[in-house]
Amino acid sequence: MSTRLIALVGNPNSGKTTLFNALTGLRQKVGNYPGVTVERKEGRLRFADGGEALLLDLPGTYSLTPGSPDEKIATEILLGTGAYDPPPDLVVCVVDASHLERNLYLVSQIIDHGLPLVIALNMVDIAEKSGMAIRSSALAGELGVPVIPTVASKGTGTEDLKRAMQQTTTASRKAQLWTLPAPVEKETEELVGILQDVHRLPAHHALHEAIGLLTADGPAFEQMDRYAPEVLSHVRRDHQKLDFLGFDRRSVFVESRYAWIKGVCARSVTRRAVTGASVSDRIDAVLTHRIWGVLIFLGLMAFLFQAMFSWAAAPMAWIGAGFDWLGAEVALVMPPGDLRDLIIKGGIAGVAAVVTFLPQIMFLFLFLGLLEDTGYMARAAFIMDRLMSAVGLHGKSFIPLLSSFACAIPGIMATRTIENPRDRLATMLVAPLMSCSARLPVYTLMIAAFIPATTLLGFISMRGVTMLSMYLLGLIMALLLALLFKKTFLRGSGRAFIIELPPYKIPSLRSILLLMWEKAWAFLRRAGTIILAASIVLWFLAAYPRMEGGSPAERLRHSFVGQAGELMEPLIRPLGFDWKVGVGLVTSLIQREVFVSTMGTMYNMQQGSGTNASVSLPEKIREDRDPATGRPVFTALTGICIMVYYVLAMQCFSTIAVMRRETNGWKWPLFQLGYMTLLAYTVTFIVYRAGIALGLGGT
Amino acid sequence: MTLSDAPIGARVRIQRLSSRPEISTRLRELGFCENAIVRCLMRGYGNIICEVYDTRVGLNSSLASGIHVSHLD
Repeated sequence: MSTRLIALVGNPNSGKTTLFNALTGLRQKVGNYPGVTVERKEGRLRFADGGEALLLDLPGTYSLTPGSPDEKIATEILLGTGAYDPPPDLVVCVVDASHLERNLYLVSQIIDHGLPLVIALNMVDIAEKSGMAIRSSALAGELGVPVIPTVASKGTGTEDLKRAMQQTTTASRKAQLWTLPAPVEKETEELVGILQDVHRLPAHHALHEAIGLLTADGPAFEQMDRYAPEVLSHVRRDHQKLDFLGFDRRSVFVESRYAWIKGVCARSVTRRAVTGASVSDRIDAVLTHRIWGVLIFLGLMAFLFQAMFSWAAAPMAWIGAGFDWLGAEVALVMPPGDLRDLIIKGGIAGVAAVVTFLPQIMFLFLFLGLLEDTGYMARAAFIMDRLMSAVGLHGKSFIPLLSSFACAIPGIMATRTIENPRDRLATMLVAPLMSCSARLPVYTLMIAAFIPATTLLGFISMRGVTMLSMYLLGLIMALLLALLFKKTFLRGSGRAFIIELPPYKIPSLRSILLLMWEKAWAFLRRAGTIILAASIVLWFLAAYPRMEGGSPAERLRHSFVGQAGELMEPLIRPLGFDWKVGVGLVTSLIQREVFVSTMGTMYNMQQGSGTNASVSLPEKIREDRDPATGRPVFTALTGICIMVYYVLAMQCFSTIAVMRRETNGWKWPLFQLGYMTLLAYTVTFIVYRAGIALGLGGT
Repeated sequence: MTLSDAPIGARVRIQRLSSRPEISTRLRELGFCENAIVRCLMRGYGNIICEVYDTRVGLNSSLASGIHVSHLD
C-alpha cells in the first residue's frame, strides 16, 4: 500500500502551523508548488503502530472560493484538479474553537467536497476561557466526522488526533448538511446534474462549480468560457429566474451556510457570559490606540534595528574570528601553492564574508516570528494602513515590506495575502528597494572603510547615522515609487482593507525556533553551495591567466577579472567607480553580499602572499593607491556612492526569478530590473557630481 | 446607517452589502453576511475595529461604508 497523503487545512491564525510542527517535528520539507511561489510544506507523520503518512500543510484559507493565489491552490488540491491529481486521501481541518462559527464555514465547504475528514478542534483552552463549552461529541454528531479537541501549542490531543487520522477512511455520512431556500436548491440541483452530464464532473466538484456559476456576475461570468455553451445559457436562465424571485444570488449561499452553522453551534456549544473586557480587549485598547499605538510601534521598530546592528555584532565577530583561525590552521598544515591559495583565499575567505551575517538573519527572524506568533503583526498592519494608504498602498503591504528588510524573496511571497492584484503588484515592484540583509555586508564594509567612528552631539554615532540613512533612502524611494505606480499604470478603484486581528497569545517557542532554524539552514546551505562555488570560480578568474613577474596588483589587472573590470570601467566611471567595483557589481548579481567576498578575494590576490595578513579589508580598501597617480582609489564619496547604488539597484538574480514566477511572465521582472537600474545609476550619478561640486573629494 | 457611522460599543445587524461583488463575497466569508450581528470596538486612523462571530476584524472606512446596518438594541 502506498503512503497516504493527508492534507492539513484551516483558517489563517487557527494554529495550523503549530499543529503541523507538533505532528511532524523536524521531519519537514519546504518547497514550492509547481509554477507558483507558494510554499509547499510537507512532513512525515509517524503513527503509534509504526505506520507512516505524508502530511501536507496547505496555505491558510478562509474559504474555498479562490480569492488569492493561496486559496486557489488549497481549492485545487482538495478538488484534485490540474497538477494536483489525485486529491488527498484524508483532510484534517484545523478549527479555531474560540472562533468556531467563522471556522465552520470552511468546514462546511470541505464536507461538500466529499473527502474523508477529521476536525482538529484547536485552542479549546482559549475557547473555555472566553466562556465557551463545546461538546465535541455533539459537534461530531452534527458534522458526521470525528472531532478531536487539541491544544497544539502544548501538544495536547495530538495522539488522539493521530489515532483518528489513522482510523478515518471514509467521508462524512452526511453529504451537504446545509439547506438552501427551496427555489435556489432546485436550480442548484438541476445545474449540478447538467454539469455532471456535460462536463463529466464528479458530484462534489459539480456542486462547487455550480455555486460559482450561480454566484458569478457580469465580467466574472463572461470569463467562464471553459464551460459548454448549453451550460452557460442554462445558467443565464437561472440567473434571471432567481433575480425575478427576489433572491440575492451573491449572498444566498453564504447566508445559508451561516444559518446552518448557527444551528450547529446552538446545539453543541454552551456559552456563559464573561464579565469585563477580555485580555485582548485591554491590550488592544493600548496597542491600537491612535497615539500610544503608533509610539509603541515605532519603539518596537527601533528595538529591532538596535538588536540587529548592535547585539548581533558580538556573535558576528566570533564567527569572523573562527574563520580566521580556520584559515591560519590550513596555512600551517598545507604547503604554499595554488591549492592552498584556492582554499584559503577563494573558499574560506569568500564563505566567511557571508556566513558572518548569520546572527543578524537569525535576530530578524526571531523578531518577525515573535511579532507574528503573538498576534501583533496584524495590529502593525492595521496601524500602518493609514501611512500606507497615503502612498496608495495597503496596510497588508506593510508585512511584505518589513520582511523585505530580511530578504525580498519572502517579502514578495508574502504579498500573496493582498487580494487586489494592483496593490499586490505595486508592493512587489517596490519590495526590493527595502535594504535586505544581503546589502548589510556592503554597507558595513563601506562604513568601516570610510566613515569615521566619531559621534555627533556626543552620543549619536556617525556610522549608525550613515547606516540608518541608507535604510531610510530605500524606504522613502519605495514609498515614492509606489505612489508613482499607483497614480499611473496601477491606478485602481476604491481601496479595500480588511484584516483579522487574532487574539493575543504567548508565542510558541518551538515554532519560532523552528522558523529560525529553517531560515538559518537555508542561508548556510546557500553559503556552502552558491557562494562557495562563486568564490572559487572568482579565485580562478582572478589568478589566471598567470603573468610572470610584476607586482601582485599588476597580476590581478592582467587576469580575466581585471580585463572584465576594465571593459566595464567606461560605463561606471561617471559614478566614480573603478574597475574593481565593476567586478564586484557583476559578481554580486549572484547575491549582493558576494560584493564583499569579491573585494576580499581581489585584495588578497593583489596583496600577494608575503605581506602582512592582519591588515583588515576596510584598511586595504582605504589604502589602495592608483599606481599611475599615487592618489587613493577610493574616497569617502566613492564609499557613499557604492552604498547608494546598492540601496537602489536590483542586484539579485533570485529576486528576478521569484518575480517571474509570481507574475507569470518576464514583463514585470524586466520592468523592475530596468527601473531600479536606471534609478540607481541616476541617483548615484547625482550624488557623485554633487559631492565633487561640494569639494568632497573624488578622483 | 452604515457600519462606519455605528456608535462605538453598539451592536448592529447587517442589512445589506453594497461594495463591489468580489469584495462583498470576501466580507461575507469573513462573517459580514446579511443578518450577522456586529459590535463596533474602536475607530481610528480612518479605520474601524469590530467584532463579528467572536472574531476581531479591522477594516477601512470605505469598506465599512459599504456595510449597511440597523440598530439592534
